[in-house]
Amino acid sequence: MSAAVSMSKPTEHPPPAQQRPVRPRTWWKAAAVLVVVAAVTVWSAIAVEVDFGALFRNAGNASRTIGQLLQPDYSYFPETVRPLLETLETAVISTAVAAVLSLPISFLASRATDPSTPLLVAVRFVMNVIRSIPDLLYASLFVTAVATGALSGILALVLFNIGILVKLVSEALDGLDRGGQEAALAAGSGWIKADRSAMLPEISPIYISQTIYVLELNIRASTVIGLVGAGGLGMLIDKVRTFYQYHYLSLVILEILVLVVVLEFVSSYARRKLVR
Amino acid sequence: MTPAGAGICFDGVGVTYPNGVVGLRDVSLDIEPGEMVVVVGLSGAGKSTLVRSINSLVPFTSGEITVGDVAVSGLRGKALRRLRSEIGMVFQSFNLARRTTVLNNVLMGRLYAAPTWRTMLGLWPASDVELAMQSLERVEIVQKAYANASELSGGQQQRVAIARTLAQQPRVILADEPVASLDPPTSHVVMRDLQRINAELGITVVVNLHFLDLARRYGNRLIGLRAGEVVYDGPGADADEKVFESIYGRSLTAEDVLDTPARLT
Ligand SMILES: Nc1ncnc2c1ncn2[C@@H]1O[C@H](COP(=O)(O)OP(=O)(O)O)[C@@H](O)[C@H]1O
Ligand SMILES: [Mg+2]
Repeated sequence: MSAAVSMSKPTEHPPPAQQRPVRPRTWWKAAAVLVVVAAVTVWSAIAVEVDFGALFRNAGNASRTIGQLLQPDYSYFPETVRPLLETLETAVISTAVAAVLSLPISFLASRATDPSTPLLVAVRFVMNVIRSIPDLLYASLFVTAVATGALSGILALVLFNIGILVKLVSEALDGLDRGGQEAALAAGSGWIKADRSAMLPEISPIYISQTIYVLELNIRASTVIGLVGAGGLGMLIDKVRTFYQYHYLSLVILEILVLVVVLEFVSSYARRKLVR
Repeated sequence: MTPAGAGICFDGVGVTYPNGVVGLRDVSLDIEPGEMVVVVGLSGAGKSTLVRSINSLVPFTSGEITVGDVAVSGLRGKALRRLRSEIGMVFQSFNLARRTTVLNNVLMGRLYAAPTWRTMLGLWPASDVELAMQSLERVEIVQKAYANASELSGGQQQRVAIARTLAQQPRVILADEPVASLDPPTSHVVMRDLQRINAELGITVVVNLHFLDLARRYGNRLIGLRAGEVVYDGPGADADEKVFESIYGRSLTAEDVLDTPARLT
């Protein structure tokens, strides 16, 4: 010990002459992005021929409709219970099925967990295709190909959800600390076992939180896809709207609002509990 | 029951990284079964490259490494995993899965042997759990078995990492700067753990160290690396200031020692 101490006399070196770097100028990048975004927005508005005048020309019509919408007809409630439940069930079932399917696919779609480049590229390509089709289009496709009703809604939402979940979870996997995985591989584990034991515990809070987010999306989405015949409140909305029953319509909208708000509370509570 | 330590033989080993950087240059070494060897050198000297080539985390590009009676070059798939299962590895940054329990982390040392379906379901055989608990007992941290790894201090995490290697029932333990993230007292605890494991279980231990006082104290045998070449190989006790200056290629500074004189007085 004393030998180590005696030989450890610090030798002081004078600090080398230092030169402060010139601050890099980056404002022009931000300015360029801003200009491009503004240009694209204006161009889009012109291209789709937005007619702001229509807002005022139809004002009388609108005020009558709004008047009716402000007076929901609560006696219609019993008729809405079944579709309401159907919407909820559709959302929950789709979320559950998509969550189960998305987990293994996410591991195949992340470079951090999938060592095979061909497999990675193939999975990502398929996922890009799935994600590029909007939920409403899936719904109308399934309504045509399968049948009108909840099953089509579920199939549409499952595909829509897998697209979102795999994207969010696989990108989160890319950003994880891979220390545990490296240790497992160094101990002779294969990739599947290493991913399961070292990466899954690290990703699970994010996975759960994103699944809850997708459930929230599904409540909203399942009403919209109902409009094209995929069951639930959306189909009811389509019916009452066709007959200009705005007193009924406003009740349905109110119910969706309550549903979304309640779910928002539940999910933010659950997220706080699960993700520390 | 633990198999005895394995010898490690480097025969003209060279490592050139894909980008052309030379990590090791013509290294020849004979490490006896059950020996404890400390490797020192400046940052960038090739210490990590040396230990990582032993379990083929870094593939060597020339020469041959033999662990026990297994030639490492060309090992792939199951044969490589089998070799790795007999070599425990301890990392500078502990490399634990932080959101799971200490016990689960130690059980990762059993992944080579565990059937995939059991791993998927998290159903470990009772014998593996028992082995993991014994490993935790050996580094005196078994009371934390069900705590999350993230709740532990740095020194505790590193002891869990050592327990993980013990659960492998390894013949060799490689430690790549295991105390570089720890404070001086904790560094000594971890180094003494490694020393004890070497002495009691006969496991061959190779430790990279940055600090020369630690290296002298724990290195029965000291290997000095400089720019990828072995420039010293001898007892730690014989390595004086001159030797370290030749290994480091410069005069010594306060940063080269863990325990500063002020701390010891
Ligand atoms: N993955 C890598 N790719 C390219 N060069 C590397 C890589 N890892 C290490 N090196 C280089 O190899 C040399 C030895 O590095 P390393 O073994 O990490 O040294 P040490 O552990 O002693 O600090 C250094 O010059 C380093 O820059
Ligand atoms: Mg290193």
